[in-house]
Amino acid sequence: MSAATSPLENNGEPITWNFKLLAQNNLGGFGGMGEGIAVQLAKDGRRIAWIAHESAPKNFTGVDVTDPRNPKVVVQTDLPQTHMRSNSLDVSGDVMAVAYQTKQVGQKPAGLELFDISVPEKPRSIAFLDCSGAHSRGVHQLWFCDGEYVHMASGAPDFTPSHPNDDQFYRCIDVRSPSKPVEVGRWWMPGTASTDNVKPPPRHPLDKGYRAHNTNVYPQRGDRLYLCYIDGGMFVMDIKDKANPKVISHWTNSPPYTGFMHTAVPLFDRDLMLVTDESTEDNAADWPKLIWVLDARDEEHLVPISTCPLPPVDAYKDRGGRFGAHNIHENTPVPTSFQSDQLVFGTFFNGGMRAYDISNPYQPKEVATFVPPAPAGTPVGAVQLNDVYVDERGVIYTVDRFSGGLYTLEMDF
Amino acid sequence: MTALFSSPSAGRFGRRQKRERGARIPVTVLTGFLGAGKTTLLNRFLATPEGRGTAVVVNEFGAAPIDDALVRASADETVLIGNGCLCCVSRSDLQETLRKLVIDRDRGDIPDFRRVVIETSGLADPSPILQTFATDRALGDTFHVDVMLTAADAATGLDTLARSSEARRQAILADRIVITKTDIASGEELAARLRALNPGASIDVAVNGALDPARLTEPVAAERNAFVAEAEHADGIASFVLTFDTAVRWPVFARTMETLIALRGPDLLRVKGFLAVEGCQGPVLVQFVQHLAPPPVELDAWPDTNRASRVVFITRGIAEAQVRALFAAVQGLA
Repeated sequence: MSAATSPLENNGEPITWNFKLLAQNNLGGFGGMGEGIAVQLAKDGRRIAWIAHESAPKNFTGVDVTDPRNPKVVVQTDLPQTHMRSNSLDVSGDVMAVAYQTKQVGQKPAGLELFDISVPEKPRSIAFLDCSGAHSRGVHQLWFCDGEYVHMASGAPDFTPSHPNDDQFYRCIDVRSPSKPVEVGRWWMPGTASTDNVKPPPRHPLDKGYRAHNTNVYPQRGDRLYLCYIDGGMFVMDIKDKANPKVISHWTNSPPYTGFMHTAVPLFDRDLMLVTDESTEDNAADWPKLIWVLDARDEEHLVPISTCPLPPVDAYKDRGGRFGAHNIHENTPVPTSFQSDQLVFGTFFNGGMRAYDISNPYQPKEVATFVPPAPAGTPVGAVQLNDVYVDERGVIYTVDRFSGGLYTLEMDF
Repeated sequence: MTALFSSPSAGRFGRRQKRERGARIPVTVLTGFLGAGKTTLLNRFLATPEGRGTAVVVNEFGAAPIDDALVRASADETVLIGNGCLCCVSRSDLQETLRKLVIDRDRGDIPDFRRVVIETSGLADPSPILQTFATDRALGDTFHVDVMLTAADAATGLDTLARSSEARRQAILADRIVITKTDIASGEELAARLRALNPGASIDVAVNGALDPARLTEPVAAERNAFVAEAEHADGIASFVLTFDTAVRWPVFARTMETLIALRGPDLLRVKGFLAVEGCQGPVLVQFVQHLAPPPVELDAWPDTNRASRVVFITRGIAEAQVRALFAAVQGLA
């Protein structure tokens, strides 16, 4: 199948191939969404999708998606400051963790907030962990799936980076007493702290920072952290001793690629790993940004074996906004998440959301494409699909970065 | 694939799929007797929203040029295969044409398409077209025949059936049959004859060439459950349904079919069915066209509560009892 290179890609027509669009909801006109989507099964039987906003004024939105054809906003909260963004969230049972990042270092509030969402209409704050500091913008991304630990990319009051762009590192927070979150471990790439006795790493041309992004931990290997470090590539970490994380292996594609490694998802049963880049430059100035498939039979020696094919960059780069890889469905280890080591769902900004069959991991094949028209109110003239989540029913949730809000879809393949 | 990167979550036949065609491009094969109004049906279909994005492959032989012009005007892309009949001369033409469609689309030389309709000449035996998709792995990975639709006209259909073995073959192999030109003659007698030849196919009437577009687009897998009766013999052709009440052991089924193919491959005109296979969660769709078989596909789930295996055989000179006996013999030895 080569729908990826069809002329529709060239002429800018919307594409819905082998997906079925169920609904779109612009979330009350606040449809600029970040990279946190989680699905809660509420005690009253409703299914609530919790979605983080890309930027202020909104914090997060809870959407009743029990009927994915008719998503209904049940709650939408505001941020206390316009210099904040929430960007990332996760849900475990009836507890939601939300990441707060500020525009500048030194601003407040920046940190981690836990909410009791047992009554979805009334999220109740349980705790706030202050991560602000003279050199900190707070928390960019978090992972919270087991109800016990939050793994996150965060700055800290007591951390001084060797370069201002390197302010966020890996922190593990024990939330077993949810009202009293406490840090139990941290790790940063050697050379990125001012106190390190190691030379700081060389800057990449785009210089997005040597800082943590995704911090994925799965129960199949509870002693492993799959840590992406933006311009620093990705690390497989041993976190058996949470207080003392150790590097098992490191893989990077940059240089010659342009940095910003984003997410690593191990496919345990298949000895494979997916690693994504994020495109952060408009007009594909940082092309190529890809989903990589790695042979992970030996976690100490990761070997890239293929990438998920994208349409020609020339067909997309001038449509508006970004074009290239970003988030993928991460097989989140919660009961409400779709699990597959055969299918990969990824968002590509103006390249939409695409599904790949990796039955043969040497030849990923695009099997479904969703490139909706530019949503009303977008400043960039094209859709910018930012994040994707698939629930255990197979319902797909994908969000636009600026105005389109939430799209719900079904697989049709 | 070897055991390298294998997955316990994949089935015996690879990734389980929502539907038989998976992510492949759907193909509708439109056959019909000479003058049965295939082109009119096609034109009406292309004018509907469902017909948008259809590439049409027309087999020129025996068709009036005016038909091609009409089709060309309304299809997103029309490819004419000249110099003969699809069934005998131009099978490689069909392969090349379909391959070129994909290449041209990928290059941006032709508009995008989401479906292919292959209109055969009235003289064509449709089975080689099915064989093409079963033998050519590249095509089989890209395209999937969702519907085989045969048009028969009320005015001359009975005569045509009586004198043309190709026409009978078209009727027998069809997933669906549409009777045209009922404004000229009553189609009742023809419908009865067609029902006798192919009791599994649904029969619709098109008035002025108008047919529900879904009859050309909706896959027929579910309707195949309707196969119940034994077809009337014609040209030594029989159709029958084998059902199995308990889950089938795949090696037994595979070995039985291998034996049948080895001995009588050319006489297995079409074999298609749902199997409950031991160890598989969804039904396994199997298909054979003479000695060829595209890879089986396991679906995510059964379409209804009927969990029994059912396989339709359309054979020439092979009786149901013989096939049953072979299955029983292999089962007994396995």
